[in-house]
Amino acid sequence: MIFGKLFLTYGLAILALVGIAEYRGWSLNTVNEVKGVPKTIRNNPGAYRSHFMFLPRYIGGK
Amino acid sequence: MATPPQVKALACPNCGAGVQVRTYARTLNVVCVNCLTVLDASTPELQILQKFEGATRIRPLVPLGKRGKLESEAWENIGFQVREIVVDGVPYQWHEYLLFNPYKGYRYLTEYDGHWNDVKTLKSIPSPCTVSGKPAVQVLGRTYRHFQSAEATTVYVMGEFPWQVRVGDQVRVADYVAPPFMVSSETTADEVTWSIGEYTDGRRIFQAFELKEAPPAPRGVYANQPSPYAGRTKRAWTTWLFLNILLFALMFFFSIFTGNQVVLDKSYYFTTASKGEASFVTDVFELKGRISNVELTTSTDLDNDWAYFGFALVNEATGQGYDFGREVSCYYGRDSDGSWSEGGRNDSVVIPSVPPGRYYLRVEPEMQSDASGGGSADHRMNYRLQLRRDVPYNAFFWFAALLLLVPPVFTSLRRAGFETRRWNESDYAGGSSGGSDSSSSDD
Repeated sequence: MIFGKLFLTYGLAILALVGIAEYRGWSLNTVNEVKGVPKTIRNNPGAYRSHFMFLPRYIGGK
Repeated sequence: MATPPQVKALACPNCGAGVQVRTYARTLNVVCVNCLTVLDASTPELQILQKFEGATRIRPLVPLGKRGKLESEAWENIGFQVREIVVDGVPYQWHEYLLFNPYKGYRYLTEYDGHWNDVKTLKSIPSPCTVSGKPAVQVLGRTYRHFQSAEATTVYVMGEFPWQVRVGDQVRVADYVAPPFMVSSETTADEVTWSIGEYTDGRRIFQAFELKEAPPAPRGVYANQPSPYAGRTKRAWTTWLFLNILLFALMFFFSIFTGNQVVLDKSYYFTTASKGEASFVTDVFELKGRISNVELTTSTDLDNDWAYFGFALVNEATGQGYDFGREVSCYYGRDSDGSWSEGGRNDSVVIPSVPPGRYYLRVEPEMQSDASGGGSADHRMNYRLQLRRDVPYNAFFWFAALLLLVPPVFTSLRRAGFETRRWNESDYAGGSSGGSDSSSSDD
């Protein structure tokens, strides 16, 4: 009986967490949050360098 | 018991000690408690039938002559015997207590390694059948699966018995189980006796007989011991089903009621032939509503090629940026193994928890250039960027569905382990027992 209540509590907690995640728009994808991006980028997009541009990348093909 | 039973006191012809006969009208054998000599109670002079030659004495957990109440009826322990079977050269002994009530007759208690059974003689004869190709019997609306057959030998007796008992008596026993019940047959050259036992907590027996000490703790899993996981497993799967219904209802709710609003949808062209700055920014668009996610879908026409995109979603007013990179690659071909393909032309990413505001997207596409790849041809692609606000994100639902599986699967495995331990003690050890006590009720 205790097991049943524990499982129900566990399950409802998971559902609540999923509901919150969905409502708040959580995602498993990784993005790098940066603050204070200069407004000049709109006029000179090349002045900004994303740190992702320096990561090694796959160049494909079998 | 309304009146105390009459007790006849006689002297043991072997040692002279007093021998009490409680059920003298029915008793055929009585065993002297002092010297354990088996006496014939049907003759006035208590003829000696068998002398005890063993060196050890065994103390019954329920003393002879002790009275107790089982199911509101008074019962007296009048006989005790130890029986033994030998399996693979290993002797296994269990204790049997003979209880008597002058109005109800006899019943038995058996004890093995702390496991107790309350046993009564069956008045119906079980009918043989098979379950999954293995022998079984049916009686009183229940199917019992064969557990074990062996030759049982009486190795120790005390008290009185309504049948001829000797140390060394042998019977062929067969046990059939449907936890918490067990049906047993005892076969001699003359007759077959059937009995039905119900697994009983030792504490109940000790309380019934007002025994002060604690009963021995059960060891291992007994043949008809009810699985503590049987009902729990069923409840766990029922709860799992209920929670999954709620989960899919939640999934349905969010798939219907999320905004899923397209805020940017534009097509672009990129070529490595262009020597100018590849990066650019989109028009400003508004992300409305609460803090929510944003999905960026990139669709390309890549053909055996790759492209890399450096993205930054920037809040125009605050300068808050979400910086990320995505690679799209689409390759296919044919070799000695046949045709193959890798990757795809499209990509999708969900940016988490983006506050409302006015945003623009900085895009920096990149493809293999002559300098980096050593090729001579220009690389080009058409691509389309689509941004949607507040999209349903199903990954959490599938993850939750997996987490919800953990308790019922864990309980089912525990139950299977319990059944394996049970059937490891049977004639079907290490094989396919069927592994479940399903012939009885699940709970």
